[in-house]
Amino acid sequence: MSTGEMHRSERLRILNYDTPAVSDWETGLHPMDDLLRGERLPHIWCQGCGLGTALTSFISSLKWLEKNRGWDLDKVAVVSGIGCTGRIAGYVRLDSFHTTHGRAIPFATGLKIANPDLKVIVISGDGDIAGIGGNHLIHAARRNLSITVVCVNNFNYGMTGGQVGPTTPHEARAVTAQYGNYEFPFNLPYLATASGASFVARWTVLHARRLTWTLRNALTHSGFSFVEIIAPCSTAYARWNPEGKGLDPENLRRRGLEVMKHYQKVGKIDHDVHPKDAHVKVNNQGEILEIIEGEFLDETRPDFKEAINQRADLAEKYWLSEKGTLDKRKVLTSRKKRVPRKEIQLGGFGGQGIMSAGKIIGMAAAVFNNLQACFTQSYGPEARGGAAGSQVVIASSPIHHPHLTQPTSMIIMSQGAYDKYVADLAPGGVLLIDDELVTLPADHRKDIKTFGISATKIAEQAGNNRAANTAMLGFWTAVEGIVDKDAMQESIAESVPPKTIKLNLDVFEAGHKIGLTIDK
Amino acid sequence: MPLWRQPLDRDRILIRHGIVNIIDDRCKGCGFCIEFCPQNILVISNRTNTKGYHPPEVISGMNCINCGLCALLCPDFAIYIEDGGEHTPENVVPIHRHEVQG
Ligand code: SF4
Ligand code: SF4
Ligand code: SF4
Repeated sequence: MSTGEMHRSERLRILNYDTPAVSDWETGLHPMDDLLRGERLPHIWCQGCGLGTALTSFISSLKWLEKNRGWDLDKVAVVSGIGCTGRIAGYVRLDSFHTTHGRAIPFATGLKIANPDLKVIVISGDGDIAGIGGNHLIHAARRNLSITVVCVNNFNYGMTGGQVGPTTPHEARAVTAQYGNYEFPFNLPYLATASGASFVARWTVLHARRLTWTLRNALTHSGFSFVEIIAPCSTAYARWNPEGKGLDPENLRRRGLEVMKHYQKVGKIDHDVHPKDAHVKVNNQGEILEIIEGEFLDETRPDFKEAINQRADLAEKYWLSEKGTLDKRKVLTSRKKRVPRKEIQLGGFGGQGIMSAGKIIGMAAAVFNNLQACFTQSYGPEARGGAAGSQVVIASSPIHHPHLTQPTSMIIMSQGAYDKYVADLAPGGVLLIDDELVTLPADHRKDIKTFGISATKIAEQAGNNRAANTAMLGFWTAVEGIVDKDAMQESIAESVPPKTIKLNLDVFEAGHKIGLTIDK
Repeated sequence: MPLWRQPLDRDRILIRHGIVNIIDDRCKGCGFCIEFCPQNILVISNRTNTKGYHPPEVISGMNCINCGLCALLCPDFAIYIEDGGEHTPENVVPIHRHEVQG
């Protein structure tokens, strides 16, 4: 039994607290108690706060789906962010995830993509979803990812004391807008629709029954579903605005109820209205005059998973059509030896073919030599002539970390690259340089092996100085012997322009020959 | 006395009866159930619970029609309804707010 499953009394007993054996939340008195974490209740929400009602509606819809649609509630995950509403994840006895402020949707996206069978529901407040997490909302909606986002909108930041938020109506009062809010709020259903959500609805918590029906539809919808729930914040927002009857001391304990009665007056159900016109109308005293509610949008479009699969099918078709060409490659399995992780750093200036040299090594290892390889590159802002570096990791086992930790082999073709990289080389490592382009300083490292050839000159003699990198590769192959010569030749033949294959192979051969003669 | 339209088949349909259960110590006295019960059978009681709130009490239990709205609206999971079988409509008399509050 994990700690999460352990009864509160049990846990408190372990902690040596003096507590009654069973709290009334655990007696299963209420039919919803099985989906609530009794040990965390009573919840923190104020008297008359609408969040509890939003939660009962949510639980009712889940219970209905379990009973009538055979839902397995073990396959439901609730994600919420920070704020009063964010507590919901801590109160439901389901797999739940209380995340960082505004980031509930990214966490939910990860959950859904990694486990597409999971029903993922984000429940969080307006400040969390539309304020700090607004960007995540629009992008999840744009992708039409099959998650349900329930945004409980109480028009302000309740938990921190009632500051103006992204949904506070224009001219409504808040603790930081005593003379009326001068900003304009988001219309959340319109925002969600415009961003690409395929199911959009809004209810106040007063319409709890319709809200429950809508939540059922939203949860079974394929694609991004967005439900805005307008709820009274009895402590903060209602204190400053007319529907909570302002600061009337007679009314302090009934503010939430006054707001609910107000919703009964101003709520207008209209399913067919365009979300653009689904307004929350407020007068210049901050009094809500009309709230348009309903299920505004329910359309069927390929969701994120289907869209990925469609593309994957296309990609597979493409590769099958290319397969013929790829099959012609021969894998040269002459190499049986185990290769421990080898890190190779190449450096020079742009235009010398530092990147292609790295790629040729990697391809020789991965495609023609049955090894694993990983290639990364780094370069300055200039297209040609700037500093250029590429890194290759080779090993027989899978490579989990693409970055070089300490290279043991270096191919350096410019003074700048020498200055930049040589200090990184592991003691005892091999440094290969183009000795016409790199002048070794007097304090050159003594703990490494340094060999040089005149690669550029060899290439020039063969007719094209751009092939200097291939000369270095031939030299490197002979000196290091990590990758087989025939694999390198195949890789070069596949990588260079067809007209220059012969020239490159000749230059490679020349470099290789010199490499064989040197005394390691 | 407000006028109520009567369904034509009123004498033939049966109404489900609900038994109201209130878990006193969970209640925060918000008044949602009292205000929105369609039968107006709940009122604030004189009892005080451990948190110092006055939970609701049922004044005419026979009239609960098991609509479940109070349980759905209650933010604190403090009220729920058990099924109490079926009743003929004659037994169920709606009480109107002005009658309750006098
Ligand atoms: S501060 Fe507002 S939103 Fe938060 S629990 Fe209290 S009433 Fe609810
Ligand atoms: S179930 Fe309906 S009728 Fe019965 S007490 Fe609750 S709200 Fe009133
Ligand atoms: S709705 Fe729940 S918390 Fe509010 S008064 Fe009724 S029983 Fe109490």
